[in-house]
Amino acid sequence: MEGADEELMLAYRDGNAGAFETLYGRHRARLFRFVLRSVKERGMAEELFQDVWMRVIEARGRYAPKARFTTWLYSIAHNRLIDHWRRKGLSVVSLDDDVPVASGDNPERQVEARQGLERFAKALEALPPAQREAFLMHEEAGMSVPEIAQATGAGEEAAKSRLRYAIAKLRTAVGDG
Amino acid sequence: MADERDPKVSQRYRELGRQEPPRHVDDAILAASRRAVRVRLAPLVPPTGRRRWYFPVAAAAIIMLSVAVTWHMQVEEGPDPNGYVASAPSPEAPKEAPAEKKIEMQAAPAAKPPPAAASRMEERARESAPVAGARAPEAAREDRVLGKISAEPPEKWLERVAALRKEGKHEEADKVLEEFRKRYPDYKIPESALKK
Repeated sequence: MEGADEELMLAYRDGNAGAFETLYGRHRARLFRFVLRSVKERGMAEELFQDVWMRVIEARGRYAPKARFTTWLYSIAHNRLIDHWRRKGLSVVSLDDDVPVASGDNPERQVEARQGLERFAKALEALPPAQREAFLMHEEAGMSVPEIAQATGAGEEAAKSRLRYAIAKLRTAVGDG
Repeated sequence: MADERDPKVSQRYRELGRQEPPRHVDDAILAASRRAVRVRLAPLVPPTGRRRWYFPVAAAAIIMLSVAVTWHMQVEEGPDPNGYVASAPSPEAPKEAPAEKKIEMQAAPAAKPPPAAASRMEERARESAPVAGARAPEAAREDRVLGKISAEPPEKWLERVAALRKEGKHEEADKVLEEFRKRYPDYKIPESALKK
């Protein structure tokens, strides 16, 4: 089924299960990475991810497209993560062992690339949660500053400066700061 | 609004990996989404022949139920401080109310007749005890908090949470907040409702 996200969600609200499947297919991977990189454990990320979608399903009857579906979806994720952070503290998932490192056959370059990625992952992990969240929403969901502001309940200026600080710190980690 | 993206940072970020949710999580979510839409009302087909009596009986049942629920809500909310009834009762209400009352009294034989509206909240707690089993008083109180607030707009919920926090009743506040998040998952929750 084709159509804008908002139309799909409305169709699902009206009983079209196929519309949800399309919507889920579009957002599942990006939302999963957003959650995964916001929390430490993979198991917890899976639980939170599932919970976010369950809330989408439960809230379908009240859904009205006041903003982009993406903004609505990530505002639900934001609220769910706040609950999680309040209970568990703040962290980002570490770099998995199976992360692909594209650097050809040269072992030295592979090590170098791996170290670079680890440095970047640590820098991402070290970001203050609000900055990391803004960065992940921007990178994964392609959200603009006003959309990030809307999803997180922050002012636009605050969202903008969070994103800028995050990018500036990560730029240092890629050796370009 | 200009794109804030830095190509080098974005590229490095992409190199972290393209993790995806596992299959069993996908399956669980999609199954839940299908289950949710399956719970729908059957299409309304005008009855014919011997089933012609369905509509009047259904209409009468709906009216009876509405009157009973309205009456019950008024009893739960207790009297208006100024002595006024919040909403005008429907014409059937006075006729139906005693019958409903009788049923409730039968369900709770241990309960004494209520001394008018003043102690109706206590009466409800007494009446619910034999039905629900031995409920802790705290649980009954929490249910009452949620019951009263459930019809309110989201702002009222958050005001209630903030008020509970001010009173130091964080457990109750958390309970209300948990239910609030289920009903309004995308609603921004202010600091006053979160802070302990």
